[in-house]
Amino acid sequence: MSETILEVTNLKKHFPIRGGLLLRQVAAIHAVDDVSFDIKREETLGLVGESGCGKTTLGRTILRLIKADEGKVSYMGRDLLKLNAKEMRKLRLEMAMIFQDPYSSLNPRMTVADIISEPIDIHGLAKGNEKKRRIIELVKRVGLAPFHMYRYPHEFSGGEKQRIGIARALAGNPKLLVADEPVSSLDVSVRAQILNLLKDLQEEFGLTYLYISHDLSAVKHMSDRVAVMYVGKLMELAPAKDIYKNPLHPYTEALLSAIPVPGRKTRKKRIILKGSVPTPIDPPPGCRFNPRCPYKQPICGKEDPEFIEVEKGHFVACHLRK
Amino acid sequence: MSESSLLSINDLKTYFFTAEGVVKAVDRVHLEINKEEVLGLVGESGCGKSTLALSIMRLIRVPGKIVGGEIWFEGEDLLRKSEGKMRAIRGGKISMVFQNPTSSMNPVYTVGSQIAEAIKLHQDVQKRQIKEKVVEILHKVGIPDPSKRMKDYPHEYSGGMCQRAMTAMALSCNPKLLIADEPTTNLDVTIQAQILDLMRALRKDFGASILLIGHNLGVINELCDKVAVMYAGKVIEYCDITTIFKEPKHPYTQALLESIPRLDVAKERLRIIPGTVPRLINPPTGCRFHPRCEYAMAVCSEQEPTPVKIGRGHTVACFLYTSKG
Repeated sequence: MSETILEVTNLKKHFPIRGGLLLRQVAAIHAVDDVSFDIKREETLGLVGESGCGKTTLGRTILRLIKADEGKVSYMGRDLLKLNAKEMRKLRLEMAMIFQDPYSSLNPRMTVADIISEPIDIHGLAKGNEKKRRIIELVKRVGLAPFHMYRYPHEFSGGEKQRIGIARALAGNPKLLVADEPVSSLDVSVRAQILNLLKDLQEEFGLTYLYISHDLSAVKHMSDRVAVMYVGKLMELAPAKDIYKNPLHPYTEALLSAIPVPGRKTRKKRIILKGSVPTPIDPPPGCRFNPRCPYKQPICGKEDPEFIEVEKGHFVACHLRK
Repeated sequence: MSESSLLSINDLKTYFFTAEGVVKAVDRVHLEINKEEVLGLVGESGCGKSTLALSIMRLIRVPGKIVGGEIWFEGEDLLRKSEGKMRAIRGGKISMVFQNPTSSMNPVYTVGSQIAEAIKLHQDVQKRQIKEKVVEILHKVGIPDPSKRMKDYPHEYSGGMCQRAMTAMALSCNPKLLIADEPTTNLDVTIQAQILDLMRALRKDFGASILLIGHNLGVINELCDKVAVMYAGKVIEYCDITTIFKEPKHPYTQALLESIPRLDVAKERLRIIPGTVPRLINPPTGCRFHPRCEYAMAVCSEQEPTPVKIGRGHTVACFLYTSKG
């Protein structure tokens, strides 16, 4: 449990915005800005944040689906960003992604068997009867029936489509799975099925998850540790129990207090944040949260706070917690 | 119908006549909203929540049709009104906030002119005063610098601001009933908190009744006094908000509550409701939940349960609670 499987150091991704006659770069979207964290083997790291904060870009940059600008992504001691295409392809087998929208992430012209066999074919893992056996095994494991494998995606409901996406992700026997909002497009009663499935698979295959979501309740249910992201930066990272009980960053605190909880009338005093999330094109100077922060100090508008460990395993980027 | 009742829906049926068959999107629904009360309507996608809301507004389009029932509003049946009279009510006494704020505004007019239009149509206000009124109402919903921002186009607003502007428009004519169809679904939690705060304040200031439609039970809990749970076109349980969380009676309500991950309760595993929401073209016979219900009995697939009263203001449509069960 303690072995580190993935270590991300000072990762940066800026998307250029070009304009003018010569299409010079006029600005940049600071999608991921100097982010560092690690993921231990067989744990689930939850990554939460509001829309547009760079969660998805971070997930994709780690898998090299988007090229990073700077930083290091070390997977079991090897820097993914320095590997050549061939080496990377080999390692791809060990990592997979589950996408947010099962409706658009499955090719409508391929049968379920074709979809699941694609990673198997590309990596030459199995052929003929063995491949078929493997596909049937996967289809069954995610809770579908073997006869489903000759059907097309449109014949399935949203939850079933997501199961197919999970089967595809498992086809190469991955170690690390990046799940980007895997249940947010599903019905409430179907969400629980998928969340339970993900937990079972983790136990069975010893998977490590990076679970990206904006739903803090689901993240709490799934994760061992939680990282909170705001406008391209990590604000706080701590064991799930600590962060929900004792959030140290004002943003985390506000985020948690904003969630309506079913069945509780006497709620904690709610912190209502003013304004909305700033654009990552021109993030505010200093701490990115300072224009909305209820505890703002003069220093917050000038200096960017460092991401430091204030309690054991509890990292936070805030001037108030030094 | 009692004194305090504002809206009372009786045996409403809204069907869609499609090439594949008849979709019974709202089937024999009874509901009641009292004055100054907030009713939450909960259900999963495709259960008929939005169709019910549009039926109240009489905005059902072909191939949909309201085939039966009554909708009593302030002592008059909305279903018997002429289209002209109905138009005066829409946006006047009953107004609506839609799910997707950015797409329910007209992108080629400024936000201010769209709100002004609603005021012009429904209120007897002089031209000079309209602008003041728009500024006042935008200020009330917390848009900063309203006299400047009213000249902006919808795309210049963020999602949360658009939703505020929509709410402003809906409230511009002091409606008696506000129908809010998933008003916070596409918004981030911090923005959602702002909108919920706004609605709470407006209810107090304007004394309007609200029909709040949503699938997030947390949001429902924040605002509502009473709650109705819908499943596959039917209201299966109706009670006040504390009862639903303490003593949910219908198996679907119970399972739904246990299937959501909660911040306040740690659970190792979530309860699963097997299967998926049925398609309404060919819904299951008898109780529509019976194929997914763990307490299903023989009678459940044969007969349809009728709502029975089991407590003060608590009705449930389930054979477990009929006299023989």
